[in-house]
Amino acid sequence: MMQRIDLAPLLRETVATPYSDMVTRSTGAALRDRIEQTIAGASHRTTQLDFTAVGLLDFSCADEVVAKLLLRVAAEDEHYVVLSGITDSHLDAIDHVLERHGLSVAALTEGEAAPRVLGVVTPDAVTAFQTIQRLGAGDANRLADALTWTVERAADALQSLALRRLIQAAGGTYRPLTLS
Amino acid sequence: MRVITVPTSLDDRTLDTLAQGIGEWPPTEGILLDARATHWASPYGLTAVLTLGQAMAEAKLPTPRLTIPDSEEVRSYWGRAGFFLAAAECFELVGKLPRKNSDAPSDVLLPVTPVRAAEDVHHVVGRIQERAQRILSSELNLEPKATLGFAMALSEACQNIVEHAGTGGWVAVQTYNWRKRLGRKVVVIAVSDSGVGFRRSLEPTEAKKVGDRWGDGAALELALLHNVSRFRDPGRGQGLAGIRRYLGRWQGKISVRSGTARLAVVPPWDDDVPLAEHLPFFPGSQVQITIPAQEAVTR
Repeated sequence: MMQRIDLAPLLRETVATPYSDMVTRSTGAALRDRIEQTIAGASHRTTQLDFTAVGLLDFSCADEVVAKLLLRVAAEDEHYVVLSGITDSHLDAIDHVLERHGLSVAALTEGEAAPRVLGVVTPDAVTAFQTIQRLGAGDANRLADALTWTVERAADALQSLALRRLIQAAGGTYRPLTLS
Repeated sequence: MRVITVPTSLDDRTLDTLAQGIGEWPPTEGILLDARATHWASPYGLTAVLTLGQAMAEAKLPTPRLTIPDSEEVRSYWGRAGFFLAAAECFELVGKLPRKNSDAPSDVLLPVTPVRAAEDVHHVVGRIQERAQRILSSELNLEPKATLGFAMALSEACQNIVEHAGTGGWVAVQTYNWRKRLGRKVVVIAVSDSGVGFRRSLEPTEAKKVGDRWGDGAALELALLHNVSRFRDPGRGQGLAGIRRYLGRWQGKISVRSGTARLAVVPPWDDDVPLAEHLPFFPGSQVQITIPAQEAVTR
């Protein structure tokens, strides 16, 4: 099961402002605290941060809400974070902070049906990620067949995606994260 | 009382003349800023003057006096840009003040606005987006993506005050036509504070590493060019880095003055020196971000 956290209402609850912009480091830190409490209070393995109706996102706030949350979650077993409702107002800041920390995250951007990877990722991993979204669950052989890659190349790409928590891995099989 | 003549045109270049007039810091006598002959001031100039007044108040020096411009047009403009409202907090104003309750001029995207806490940054960013988007796209040919980046740059520049200055500051945003210098319109963000400055902020962690070259210039280089922050958190220092990335994309310029040095990331259209050191001291830090109108071929 997936847990969805709407950031726009959470922002209004956290900061007394009439604006819908996620700006300033202190705002980001306060929001992340609330997000971490919400995650801790549930047993879901996947958390979707929904940016719908969030206006501007600046670098400092993105660092707190996205990058630091991913770093915290990476320390936990089997917890996944995905983003949704991402627009041009958010992309630059998220990409910038992910690159700075060497992180990546799966995201649904506005107007696109399929998720994409934001942040640091190799071209092979991007191709593998996109293919897995289309094929669904499978193993390295299936991916290798679909892309006419060697099994080793497919396995490397899948392992890289799994280590970055961009897909789920279990006993040699892989499946995409639930994003909607 | 020391009388300091405000340059007839007060901007990032002529501020050094004003700083020269102040002499040693802190001043040992009262100060009177004579702006009677001043006929123009950039947002950088206006916010820097406020910083001087604030720094003197915080140093518990006698309240400085400011004689306001003789020109009714200039007085009116400064008034509508919010300058006198702010200046009344830290100066004894001498001269005939313009009428209140006038709208800000159309080229003033954000009047002189205080920044003291994170809530002020929310207010500034929210306010600028309401007003700036149409002007930036119609008059400066900036794409929607560039106007978003503009608000982010503004947010990060203001946050530097909240995070590092240890006191409050001021921000103002304006468009104007740089006929002589560039032949195009520009939008300018000016942020100034009377805080500790870059050198003192970074001194505890960086001075020993730098050694003999340590000073205002070296501190500015670390912060602006190498994303160094006084915080150990690896996520820090991204604000100025993000601003530089944005400006690189849109041929913009950033110039930061702190203490006795000024460092600029200079685009091809400008002839400023990258680093100026041994300038006359001016309190706090002053940041200017300039984004030129985009030419048709670069859109």
